[in-house]
Amino acid sequence: MRGGAIPVLAWACLLAVLMTGNAVWTGDAIQIGEYGFAVLTIVLVAAALVRADRTAIRRGAPEAPSRPRVEASPDLSFAAVLAAIALASILFGLTWAYFLVYFGAGLLIMSLGRLALELQAARASRERFERGSPPERPERERLP
Amino acid sequence: MDAGLSLSSHGAASLLHATPSGLIDTRSQYQHVFDIYVPIAIGVFALFVLATLLAVIIYRRRPPERAARWYEHDRLEAGYALLLSCVVAFLLYITLTAEHRVDTVSARERPQLVVNVTGSKWEWHFNYPAYGIDLYTGTVGHQDLVVPTGETVRFRLASLDVIHAFWVPQLRYKHDLIPGSIQNSTLTFSRSGLFAGQCAEFCGLFHSTMVFNVRALSAAEFTAWAQRQQATGGAGA
Amino acid sequence: MSATAPSVSTVSRASGLFGAAASTDHKRIGLNMGLASLLFFLGAGVMALLMRTQLAQPHVRFVSDQTYNELFTMHGSTMIFLFVTPMAMALATYLVPLQIGASSISAPRLALSAFWIWLSGGIIMQLGWLTEEGAGRSGWFAYVPLSNSANTPGVGQDLWTVGVILAAGGLTIIGGCVLATIARRRAPGMSMMRMPVFTWTGLVSVLMVVGSFPVVILAMSLLYAERLGARVFIGYSGAIDYQDLFWFFGHPVVYVMFFPFLGAAAEAIAVNAHKRWFGYAAFVASMLAFAALSMSVWSHHMFTTGGVTNQYFATTSTALAVPAGIEYFDMVATLIGGAILLRTSMLFALGFFLQFLIGGLSGIFVASPVLDYHAEDSYIVVGHFHYTLFAGSVFGFFAGVYHWFPKVTGARLREGLGKLHFVLLLVGTNMTFLPMFFLGNDGMPRRIAEYPNHPGWGTLNLLETVGAGVIALGVLAFLVNVVVSLRNREVAGEDPWLGHTLEWATSSPPPRHNFERPLPPITSYAPLLDLRERAQRDASAVRVPAGRGGRGPWPQEGAP
Repeated sequence: MRGGAIPVLAWACLLAVLMTGNAVWTGDAIQIGEYGFAVLTIVLVAAALVRADRTAIRRGAPEAPSRPRVEASPDLSFAAVLAAIALASILFGLTWAYFLVYFGAGLLIMSLGRLALELQAARASRERFERGSPPERPERERLP
Repeated sequence: MDAGLSLSSHGAASLLHATPSGLIDTRSQYQHVFDIYVPIAIGVFALFVLATLLAVIIYRRRPPERAARWYEHDRLEAGYALLLSCVVAFLLYITLTAEHRVDTVSARERPQLVVNVTGSKWEWHFNYPAYGIDLYTGTVGHQDLVVPTGETVRFRLASLDVIHAFWVPQLRYKHDLIPGSIQNSTLTFSRSGLFAGQCAEFCGLFHSTMVFNVRALSAAEFTAWAQRQQATGGAGA
Repeated sequence: MSATAPSVSTVSRASGLFGAAASTDHKRIGLNMGLASLLFFLGAGVMALLMRTQLAQPHVRFVSDQTYNELFTMHGSTMIFLFVTPMAMALATYLVPLQIGASSISAPRLALSAFWIWLSGGIIMQLGWLTEEGAGRSGWFAYVPLSNSANTPGVGQDLWTVGVILAAGGLTIIGGCVLATIARRRAPGMSMMRMPVFTWTGLVSVLMVVGSFPVVILAMSLLYAERLGARVFIGYSGAIDYQDLFWFFGHPVVYVMFFPFLGAAAEAIAVNAHKRWFGYAAFVASMLAFAALSMSVWSHHMFTTGGVTNQYFATTSTALAVPAGIEYFDMVATLIGGAILLRTSMLFALGFFLQFLIGGLSGIFVASPVLDYHAEDSYIVVGHFHYTLFAGSVFGFFAGVYHWFPKVTGARLREGLGKLHFVLLLVGTNMTFLPMFFLGNDGMPRRIAEYPNHPGWGTLNLLETVGAGVIALGVLAFLVNVVVSLRNREVAGEDPWLGHTLEWATSSPPPRHNFERPLPPITSYAPLLDLRERAQRDASAVRVPAGRGGRGPWPQEGAP
């Protein structure tokens, strides 16, 4: 969207200036490395924004699109919760009880399966919406 | 100036031992910077409290329609930023010159005394290589670190296990003891007396007990003490 | 693209516990994160009270040294990883989409996942209390070699390390979601230079999160490997490298814990002064500079190690005074000429600015290596960061709570109890943290379970302990206020304070997709104030008295 990447890039430039100061003044490899990581990450964020939408680098306000963009947004996602708990139980299992690593891996697979179902449902309801028929469970199919 | 300050405070005995380059006294350096920073800070705080309270009192309880509509003055803010930058530059000048004296100039001085300070969980070991004296605090004993006043003392700081920090509040100075390194701190005691010292970096279970005392003696007394120590093999500490 | 992107519900909406736990609504996620971190705050407060009891007098043996070390480690870790930082992110998650007129957050599944990852990390960290060797106990920055398995054995420290990895990971992800939302989901007309002040503070915060939090995940993973037996941080350079890695996160996080609360206090001040925030462009520029500088000061925590270039970090740290000064200038200039109402949110916001000033000025003090050689690891530093984080951020947080509680719940908090809460907290905070500067200058180190009976130390410490009790009473008054206000609701309406920003242009609480009516025209960073001013100028104002609820005063149809 218009302008979104500009402050990100501006900030990366400020950081790069400070990084240069640090490199000249201290010459400390690990500090330059850390700065470098931060600058690179922020530049990559800006690049991703520009890649997603060219106008992100142009000044100005976002305009209303000529055709409403349809976006399927989930109300609930058990996949997301399961994945988080799976990750936590793997790490917890490493410290305390190894069987939790397997339990977590199992949960992770379940959450991926669940995610596939969720994405499929999302696609289906978006297609239904675009065809003009109401979604299965109409919640708020029309927002202003 | 610093040499003058520290010399004037402890008399003739130390005059004989003073190096020509002068002594860097961390306590007076701290006080020098403190005396500039703290009044400015208090002034700025008072200014903002006053401005805020006045604004609140004057503009309280007016109908919302009467609120002013102006909301920008970039030139004023740029000027303010410039003023702040000048203050920052001034503070940095004060700080960096003092830091230069404390860290760089003092390190160049030829020390009259070298003390090896070794920290380990929860003990201090002070070794005087020139005299062959070893002092311990902690489970081994409670011996004071003894130093001469008015002389440059180089502390060579080392640690056997985790990071400790050698802090003598009287000197307004501390430095870390990091395993795998020997760090040098060159310090001067300008006053005689008994001072507290302690480990300042958290070092595990009994961190709070890792304390020691510093006994600062005049140069003559120190020499006498050192000779007594050498004669008795450390028993008379 | 809120107003133009119709959203379709693809999964049935479950009600009750499951619905609240698995909702991808940014408001629900933000609220869950806020409530969970509030619970952690209460826990950390209990830890603080236990420590203050031990320190009430010299040589009190209320808890063992081991327990004391666990208490200060977990108090600090809980406050930083589990309360102030996540609360900052929770505020941003809840408010940013509303303020920029978006219908939802970007990547809602990731945001939901992030909340649960963070919460699991918090729980895992606290599980250490149940282990035989006790909870994490090598300080919140867990320096090596103290934190390795030889010097701090036990599962509790492992759990702490893993907990930090998960908590920081969750915070990074949710920060990324907020960043994407700001960049991609602004409503038509909402240019970057029309974003509300709070959103800007949120934006610079999440930029810092994305740039610095991954480094602590790396540091903690390496520490974890070290604890498993790998030799990662070897000798002197290992110790310095760990500190460099930790503080590269550890200092920016301090500002992540500050900026959103600065934004909250700024919004509260502007709304309660009925005047838009002064010097918006300068404020935005100074926030960007502030954030970049605060990514560049981390080694001032290492002045006494002899392993970093002190001059560089003294320079960057002192330079922070410039952008910070701009913010204070803007605050005072916003007040001047305003129509000021001293509601509780306003009191907390003013308390935030003035008390944080003590933290900030003492920060300039410790930014000077010569002064820091004395202040480092003493109670001066403890006083300094409690003035920034407690007297600052926590006051800013409460300003935000009183300001946005009506939006979130539809009910207002009681003003009487609120003012009691404010006074108790103000008195308690200064009683607790002001004496720390004197104790520190007199030579009291931080993190000691017991202190010697030097002249004055017992009295000052007792004063601090009593102050901590007063803070606890203040927090109690807040909890009572919340319960009373929710039980016996004073209906707020959608815009009880004559708000400036878009979140006040929708119902309270906002509907699932935030806005059901067309958004008012977005003409500046205070679009609702623009409308009111224009209406006033046109002499056709629909007067809404201050403090009364009701629909927004903008023309509902045919907006210009």
